[in-house]
Amino acid sequence: MRTYWITWSVLLVFTVVMLWADSASLPRQVFVVFMIVAMLTKASIIGANFMHLRFERAGLILTVVVGLLVTGTVLYVLIAPDATRIHEMVTKYGPR
Amino acid sequence: MAHSDARTLDRWAGGVCPFDAGWRKVMMWWFIVTDGLLFAGFLASYGYARVLAFQWPPQSDVFSLKYIAAMTFVLITSSATMASAVQDAKQGRRGGALKYVLLTALGGLVFLGMQAYEWTHLIGEGARLTHNPWGDASFGSYFFLLTGFHGTHVLTGVIILVTTAARLARGITKEDGVEMAGLYWHFVDLVWVFIFTLFYLV
Repeated sequence: MRTYWITWSVLLVFTVVMLWADSASLPRQVFVVFMIVAMLTKASIIGANFMHLRFERAGLILTVVVGLLVTGTVLYVLIAPDATRIHEMVTKYGPR
Repeated sequence: MAHSDARTLDRWAGGVCPFDAGWRKVMMWWFIVTDGLLFAGFLASYGYARVLAFQWPPQSDVFSLKYIAAMTFVLITSSATMASAVQDAKQGRRGGALKYVLLTALGGLVFLGMQAYEWTHLIGEGARLTHNPWGDASFGSYFFLLTGFHGTHVLTGVIILVTTAARLARGITKEDGVEMAGLYWHFVDLVWVFIFTLFYLV
């Protein structure tokens, strides 16, 4: 039971630090990278401790984590950057 | 032949193969992965729209981030009470499990109430699915889509928790049932971590 409340405290600290980072004047890229790292860390903590994923077999952990990470990577790294290109084209040639 | 039949029956009975987990837990994880992919798609399309937008409103101008942080606090706390419920159920403390399941449901209701207030406030200020007074039209669309879809999951979770509590009180639901409800509830919390960061903060 104690583990869960320690996990709760850690998640709370992360949330407070994220809010602090939002109000601090960090450079945009540093801010975004920091937020994404903090977000993924929080998600991992919830998955591992609250959802007990760390007690499951490697097969189940890998199926869940790899499945989500691969799809996430395809969506964000391969597809989403296309929006930047479209944005540049609209800026350059104007909307039709 | 008889030996082969017995093995087949064992496999369909849930068994421990290949994840060393019962069929309920494995099915719940499959559901979580597929539902997680759905949210991943929503968030990716939001990211796409955000990059394409010429004027995305600064979130701190639209939302009270302290209020959203309070919503996050409620959801994280309800996850901790849910984990405690699962622990109590596993150790045969039905009364403790019931208390924590009900506290979790209460947390879910508080979160929903806070979200309803947030929606009412923003709608009052002119936010709609098709337009809003702050900037790019897709801002309102994605706000209602992401928070609405997540809120629906919270509502479903509250219904599951209340049902679980009622069945637990009557001794119908065992520790497995509490654990499945818990997995779903933690997933709802997990999704909020992504929405809170990507939509409200970044």
